[in-house]
Amino acid sequence: MQLALIVGQATATVKHASMAGWKLLIAQPLTVDGKPDGEPQLVIDNLGAGLDDRVIICNDGAGTRKLMNSKNSPVRWFVMGICDRSEAKNAHR
Amino acid sequence: MRIAEVIGTVTLSRCHPSIAGYRWIIGVPYSLKALKDDSVPDGEDIVILDESGAGIGQKIGVSEGVEAMMPFQPERKPIDAYNACILDAVQVK
Repeated sequence: MQLALIVGQATATVKHASMAGWKLLIAQPLTVDGKPDGEPQLVIDNLGAGLDDRVIICNDGAGTRKLMNSKNSPVRWFVMGICDRSEAKNAHR
Repeated sequence: MRIAEVIGTVTLSRCHPSIAGYRWIIGVPYSLKALKDDSVPDGEDIVILDESGAGIGQKIGVSEGVEAMMPFQPERKPIDAYNACILDAVQVK
């Protein structure tokens, strides 16, 4: 699980069948002081996260497949929560 | 899933029997900066198994790790990158 910022969204017509009907967001994982950590990830969301929301994204593929009710989905990341606030000692945010 | 631009294809004359006959593409993952600037992707190129027929210049969602072989379940294949979707639109703030 990682803190991330929703930076955008994407749409796709040609996609794996399991992804039909799922909202695709672009999430930028963050370091503890709020800087970008690695490359942005496409995540699925059913909580209603939107642009500029801080979220927790989870890379449990088995959990994602359970959420999507699919046995063969290639999706790995999903939004598991929308943050109200996060704090870390010795960090600026 | 990372977002990548397709820059080429690969053909194999000899390969593991379980991956014979598939189409392979080369994709370069985007950083947040490259996505925002709508410039060329700046990651390290990877070879991706493609079942959707992605063309050069298109943006795709690349599923990595064990999830890459999930669409072939219960078969197991030695792959770690799979083209899960062809992106029509990517909106990044």
